[in-house]
Amino acid sequence: MRALVVILAVIALSPAKAANIELGLADDRVEVDTGFAGAKLTLFGAITGIDDPAGNVDIVSVIRGPDARFQIREIEKANLIWVPGKTHLVEGAPGLYLTNSTKPVTDIAPLPLQDQYRLGADFLDIEIHTQSDHKDEIDKTVLYREAFLTEAKALGLYEARIDGIAFSKGALFTINARLPANTPVGEYTVSVYLFRNGELLSSDQAELGVNRVGLERRIYDFAFERPISYGIFCVIISLLAGWLASVAFRK
Amino acid sequence: MQFYLPIAEMPVDPFVIMTMGAAVGFLSGMFGVGGGFLMTPLLIFYGIPPAIAVGTETTQIVASSVSGVTAHLKRKTVDFQMGGFLVLGGSVGSFIGVMIFRALSATGQIDLMISLSYVIFLGAIGGLMLLESTRALIRARDTRPRPRKRRSPTWLAAMPFAMRFRSSQLYISPLAPIMFGFFGGLMAAIMGVGGGFIMVPVMLYILNMPTNVVVGTSLFQIVFVTALTTILHAAANQTVDIALGLLLMVGGVIGAQLGARAGIKLRAEHLRALLALIVLAVCARLLIGLALPPSSPFTVHGVS
Repeated sequence: MRALVVILAVIALSPAKAANIELGLADDRVEVDTGFAGAKLTLFGAITGIDDPAGNVDIVSVIRGPDARFQIREIEKANLIWVPGKTHLVEGAPGLYLTNSTKPVTDIAPLPLQDQYRLGADFLDIEIHTQSDHKDEIDKTVLYREAFLTEAKALGLYEARIDGIAFSKGALFTINARLPANTPVGEYTVSVYLFRNGELLSSDQAELGVNRVGLERRIYDFAFERPISYGIFCVIISLLAGWLASVAFRK
Repeated sequence: MQFYLPIAEMPVDPFVIMTMGAAVGFLSGMFGVGGGFLMTPLLIFYGIPPAIAVGTETTQIVASSVSGVTAHLKRKTVDFQMGGFLVLGGSVGSFIGVMIFRALSATGQIDLMISLSYVIFLGAIGGLMLLESTRALIRARDTRPRPRKRRSPTWLAAMPFAMRFRSSQLYISPLAPIMFGFFGGLMAAIMGVGGGFIMVPVMLYILNMPTNVVVGTSLFQIVFVTALTTILHAAANQTVDIALGLLLMVGGVIGAQLGARAGIKLRAEHLRALLALIVLAVCARLLIGLALPPSSPFTVHGVS
């Protein structure tokens, strides 16, 4: 009888024993206002089912921005100066792709898993549409894709960091990510993956919105939704400013 | 402190921008030029996308020209008839310029076009001004006043529809100011300048207008043509950032007042030589930017 109770207890407790990672955001909105110069984004999480997770598990977080349309352009030499050359459309590229991990992703997960969960910008399904269907151009798409990733990293839009993740009080952890000043607005997905010995134990996702607010948003919406009225508005402001200046400094 | 520009979509240091506006305002107050041809390249050097630098600079030119023209209106030193024809040509030029701007933006060539236009114009104007002011400095001992010949150029009167311009005391065809206005409008749209530094010499030396109405008439036409250019850029290209424009206006107003005071203390030939050197320096900086190999053989842009 006692043995049965022990067995039932073990069975009852075992689902709780399975390793699990959960993610929470301190704020699920990032506001782009007139003072915006990038933002600190803090993610909170908890790991359950593992005793003393710090040091025994690895965490990878992926912040994926809204899909954006990019163009990649070659710069060519024309006589004395450098001029923009052929342009190619980049598709399937998110506007922002940041990863944070406890150590380099290559040391955390085997390649198939890195690829499957896109644990780095290199694994994104980015397609380059060349202007012509000429064979040479098609052959060069791999080069263009590489060049795009290099440029996006240089712009700070794609970044892989191995810092910012800190364990606190046993099961809890925080991820400090930094959104750059050129962060695009839109809907973001934040994912966290829990690994141990190269094996994916659990994952979780949360949504994040990056939105223009306040005066920033009003001006932007005005300029893009009613461009002619906005133009007239700009002229009126300028005329007033000029007139005020002439009145203020009249001798 | 950072200020996020709503249209340029980038953070800038508002004090740096205002200082730039003040510096150019100082020069324009001192030399009596609009300053657009210095402000737009400076904005590009700061990192503002060239298309937004051009579109936005037109707002600042509207402001500075309005405050300039009010004094001339009071002194009645504006030839409205001539100004009207300049505006007519300028409006067509501005419209075509904005269309060219839009087409070049779509193919990614606009930044190059802006830089190249600047290199050519600044190089030519700066070179001519330097030549002319050096000559003036050499002749400076010769104190005899040289009377300027004032007669209606015959080829301008020979063109069709010749008419009398009373304020300017000229008998020429309106096609002439329409044509020059057209080029001014084209430049306003593509380069983000008022075009005064071209229009004033044209009025003085080609149209042979009397000196006292030249500046007022030039400012008068610049107000209308750049105001139209602002509206057209906002409508066709969404490249007018009013927040950036206001920062420039605030800086520009302060700078212009200080510059006007400083300018009185300097001799005209020295002023012109100094301005020529500044213009050539900006031209050289742009040329170096075009000639130096880029840090990367590729550029990436977001497209909407």
